[in-house]
Amino acid sequence: MITHIKVSLFAVCTMLLFATCNLNAELIAIPALKSRVTDLTQTLTTDQQSQLEAKLKAFELAKGSQITVLIVPSTRPEEIEQYSIRVVDTWKLGREKQDDGILVLVAKNDHKVRIEVGQGLEGAIPDLIAKRIISEVMSPSFKQGDFYGGVNNAVDKLMDLTSGEKLEPSPEVRHTNMSFDNSLALFVIGCIVVGAFLSSILGRLFGAGATAGIIGGISWFILGTLGMSIFVAIMAFLFTLVMPYLFDGTRGDGTYSSGSYGGGFGSSNDSFSGGGGGFSGGGASGDW
Amino acid sequence: MQKIYFKLFVVLLLLSLSGCGYNNFQSLDEESKASWSEVLNQYQRRADLVPNLVNVVKGYAEHEKDVLTQVADARSKVGSMQVTPEVLNDPEAFAKFQAAQGQLTSALSRLMAVSENYPNLKADQGFRDLQAQLEGTENRITVARNRYIETIKVYNTAIRSFPQNLTAMMFGYKTKPSFTVENEKAISIAPTVDFGYKK
Repeated sequence: MITHIKVSLFAVCTMLLFATCNLNAELIAIPALKSRVTDLTQTLTTDQQSQLEAKLKAFELAKGSQITVLIVPSTRPEEIEQYSIRVVDTWKLGREKQDDGILVLVAKNDHKVRIEVGQGLEGAIPDLIAKRIISEVMSPSFKQGDFYGGVNNAVDKLMDLTSGEKLEPSPEVRHTNMSFDNSLALFVIGCIVVGAFLSSILGRLFGAGATAGIIGGISWFILGTLGMSIFVAIMAFLFTLVMPYLFDGTRGDGTYSSGSYGGGFGSSNDSFSGGGGGFSGGGASGDW
Repeated sequence: MQKIYFKLFVVLLLLSLSGCGYNNFQSLDEESKASWSEVLNQYQRRADLVPNLVNVVKGYAEHEKDVLTQVADARSKVGSMQVTPEVLNDPEAFAKFQAAQGQLTSALSRLMAVSENYPNLKADQGFRDLQAQLEGTENRITVARNRYIETIKVYNTAIRSFPQNLTAMMFGYKTKPSFTVENEKAISIAPTVDFGYKK
């Protein structure tokens, strides 16, 4: 009987697995963001790619805005708009808060092209300007098979337009967050180090109590307010008590650790990543 | 000494509140309101485009009165609707809103289809710009709607799963309506292909 249930359970699990696999297989995967120019069709030569890459890199260093080019064979079964928004939601081009990223997406076999404009640049590059760049710059070149020329000229146009937009040079808005995070990190690390040490000597309950006393004392020394440090001490007590369970292999995934600081330009070396910019579907699509 | 007990009590209360999802509801509720505002914002953007579009098309295709009046009617219906964040708590009003916007969507797509028949209109730069803007706006609406659906999914799941549903019941948080496919009926009916072989 039990084996029967086990078998059917196994069957259900396998079916579920296949179901999820199928769901994922239906859509075109989003390539990893490694460089500013990603060509999955080998349309551009290595020379052309590195030239574009260098130009875009120089522009990003000067202005801060991130422009990237992606050439894929096809976006089927999705429309180019749907695929494009998935790509930029994953890549997060442009700086956080400035939202100044642009994606130039070419679906070569579909004969479709899209310029996806970040929220912060929708003023500098309205939809109809993006549409004109596609119909007047890209389509004519693409029709003649000159993909590099079309992309290159479009990128030049986009850089011109972006240069006209007044963007803040480098956002320094993360300081308050950082200091709070630092003190939190200090608290946690302090609890772990002191708590683990004292618990091993005094036992779990007394160890936690002693840790709470020490942490509370230190925070009283730093903060100067008794109420707050009592609060910190209680938190330390609880934290030290539950700590062994936390690190027992059943840790929750740290949803808060990533995302909010998704920034960090990899401009100093070869690795490259998006800065956390947001998109809301601005831009235009066209064909040739 | 009593003060400390009181503080301890407050801390425990706070912890229990965040433990049972109350704080989570707050942020999810705000998030869903924000994404709803974005949806409204983009619909408004489209409604603002319509008068110009109708004017340009009228200049070239005057005898397409049917389609033009349909667009104008749908536009005025959308414009007359009172849309407040409270619509989110009223599934009926939400359905009405969706129906009105859907009507404008189909009227506009008919207008665009009709305009294909007028080469002069298609060549007009003003019309092409408006067309680009309309396309862009429709795309933004799609994106905003999808994001709204995503946030509502998280919100509704949070509200309905145990034990947060107890908190939700206590504080009167209800599930919010989400967008559905507009032409559900039209999709489910197979199209009839008629080659004119009728006897």
